[in-house]
Amino acid sequence: MGRHVGIVGVGQTHHSRRRTDVSQAGLVREAVNRALADAKLTIEDIDSVVVASGPVLFAAVNQPEKWVVDAIGAQGKPVVRVTSGGGAGFAGALAGYYQVAGGYAERTLVVAYDKLSEGQLQYSISTLYDPFWGREFAVGIMGFSAAYWRARMDVLGHTEEAAAMVSVKNHKNAIANPYAHFKKEVTIEEVLESKPLCWPIKLLDVPPISDGAAAVVLASESVAAKSTDRPAWIQGIAYCCEADNAPERSMLLSEPLALAARQVYRAAGITNPRRQFDVVEVQEPYSCFELSYYESLGLCPPGGAAELIASGATQLDGDIPVNPSGGTMGANPIGAVGLIRLIEAATQVMGRSENHQIKDAKLALVQSGGGWANLRGCAVLSA
Amino acid sequence: MSLGKVAVIASAQTELRPAWRDAQHIDLISAVVTSVFKGTGLSLDDVDFVIDSGSDVLDGRSISNCGFLGALGAHHKEEARVEEDGLWAALYGANKIRAGSSSLGLIVAYSKPSESDVDAYWSSQCEPFYQRPVGFSQRAASGMQAQRYLGTHAVSQRDLAGLVARRWADAARHGKVAIDAVPDVEGVLDSGNGATPLTELMLARPVDGAVAVLLANEDIALRHSRNPVFVTGMGNAMDSHAFGSRTAGKLASCEAAAAMAYKKAGWDRPKADIAEVSASSAVSELMAIEALGLAGYGRGLGAALGSKVRINVSGGALPADPIMATGLIRLANAANQMSHPELYGSEVPSRAIVHGAGGVAMQSNCVFTLEV
Repeated sequence: MGRHVGIVGVGQTHHSRRRTDVSQAGLVREAVNRALADAKLTIEDIDSVVVASGPVLFAAVNQPEKWVVDAIGAQGKPVVRVTSGGGAGFAGALAGYYQVAGGYAERTLVVAYDKLSEGQLQYSISTLYDPFWGREFAVGIMGFSAAYWRARMDVLGHTEEAAAMVSVKNHKNAIANPYAHFKKEVTIEEVLESKPLCWPIKLLDVPPISDGAAAVVLASESVAAKSTDRPAWIQGIAYCCEADNAPERSMLLSEPLALAARQVYRAAGITNPRRQFDVVEVQEPYSCFELSYYESLGLCPPGGAAELIASGATQLDGDIPVNPSGGTMGANPIGAVGLIRLIEAATQVMGRSENHQIKDAKLALVQSGGGWANLRGCAVLSA
Repeated sequence: MSLGKVAVIASAQTELRPAWRDAQHIDLISAVVTSVFKGTGLSLDDVDFVIDSGSDVLDGRSISNCGFLGALGAHHKEEARVEEDGLWAALYGANKIRAGSSSLGLIVAYSKPSESDVDAYWSSQCEPFYQRPVGFSQRAASGMQAQRYLGTHAVSQRDLAGLVARRWADAARHGKVAIDAVPDVEGVLDSGNGATPLTELMLARPVDGAVAVLLANEDIALRHSRNPVFVTGMGNAMDSHAFGSRTAGKLASCEAAAAMAYKKAGWDRPKADIAEVSASSAVSELMAIEALGLAGYGRGLGAALGSKVRINVSGGALPADPIMATGLIRLANAANQMSHPELYGSEVPSRAIVHGAGGVAMQSNCVFTLEV
């Protein structure tokens, strides 16, 4: 097998709705500076760089890694960009992981960002659909997301309240997160009464739109100690897909996520996720998706997500806290979110979470995804 | 801990045409994905992961890989999109196999610039504050590179035309490239202004096409391939975005990428029998040849046309540049020359250098060494 890879430094910007004081390059620089400082390194110590960002139409610069390379200080080094829609940050971490695991680099810097204030978000997303038959009826990303939720309501009898509970929990948790910008406690009634955007999705089921960047330093076992005596070790990481028009595609369970979880759990020795994990971070583009992830990740039996959230088990003081950081409800710079979830989980097992440290957290689960709800991955981190 | 070896065991390529009018992206992609397994005894079921290269901008579609996952054969597999030339996708795949978690990977790159505005593809890569307002883009950069090169070295516009004519003739012979008529030197010189002093045919010609490459670990390679070609070194590097800050007259990031690859291969010099080199113009092909160490500065032309190291037997990128797939096609071509030398009527090459490039004025470069 490949070499052991650890996260030895992390950094993120203080995300906001609109950063007018920096360009994309400046945003990237902030996160990179923080991650390098955290890892007690300079850019000279970095062998290779992976840049990840959402679709280039989001901010109208094609192949933006070729611009931000100078802000990173990585001229003359190996730099490559991977993208995967909403899961770009996570896909970037995966590419970086293999650069270290495959012996291409001892230390790889992964930086992910999106500056969503600079583009037309739902318009950009609408170009995801097939130009001949998809764009006639599909607009933005909300319509099919609503269909996913509706399927759960019809088949499983889940209610709008179940997803509202996710929104309430994550909004509340985000208040203590120093990097979040949307900090407002909401009640179940407020979520249910908020403006329907694409029923059953309502305004308070939806995260904010943000400018933000995040960076991590990945290191091989032989050099990790220079940065920290307690790295977050990546025990398994995978990112799977399902073809967009597969007629057998399930609306209830995310099959690519279940596949990724199976691979990752086997690599990490996870047989009972609910009992083994101390903390979970998921990327919930809408509140309803967190529920489907509970099931796809095996935190509860298929169909049991509404019961799980209602039981309080995924609250901060529950036995399987999910999104103590607040998830995307506090900040949602889309292309960076997968990496932010990884950072939040890493700092938990490193014992230095800046918001809600889960006591004695040793094993963390991270989920991320993008595309047309068809690109999904997860990772297991350990102390 | 020793890391695994990685081999190229098969490849498939569509014809490269100025416009594949009767085929969509998914048709080009599925054509190569279905034919790459021929003769290997392997099928899509054996593939652990798919890594693809394509451009949202050229495709006119956000997260365009998402729409092509079925054609890519990626359903229910691990998939990654590298938004750079396909040689970087191969680099990612090779690392994945070397790490030991996967044994067989499918690398795919494709492009349909005929459906897009290629000049916009390049100008949208330029940062919006200093470069775009003055209209700086690929053509301007290529012209400036060429002016400096011709002004510094004893190479004429006619010499460049000779190189281009040779490349087109080779492509017509070996490259699976649609060519109506091979231009002669006069034809190249008379092809209209491209970016002074380069004529239009001295710039790489955008074409549509797709390519697929199967990468495997040593075990699968030895069992399923008659002549596996091993990847023994890889390197990549990116230059500064600011054209004026780059080392004038050189491709410094190509030098860095080559140094990295040769070091990993244990080569003290570029000791290859063949080389497949990418280029955005006739001059940048010469600059790449020099940066790869195949010739001294200003001496690229002799090496380009000479026979010491056979360079771009396929014709290279000048007659056929399926942007995002060009470097991966170089890899497929080089591997093919090594595993099927009978098709090329030459001695059996045992070592190759493969080069891919991306960005305005080849800001980013990637180099592989191959050995049998």
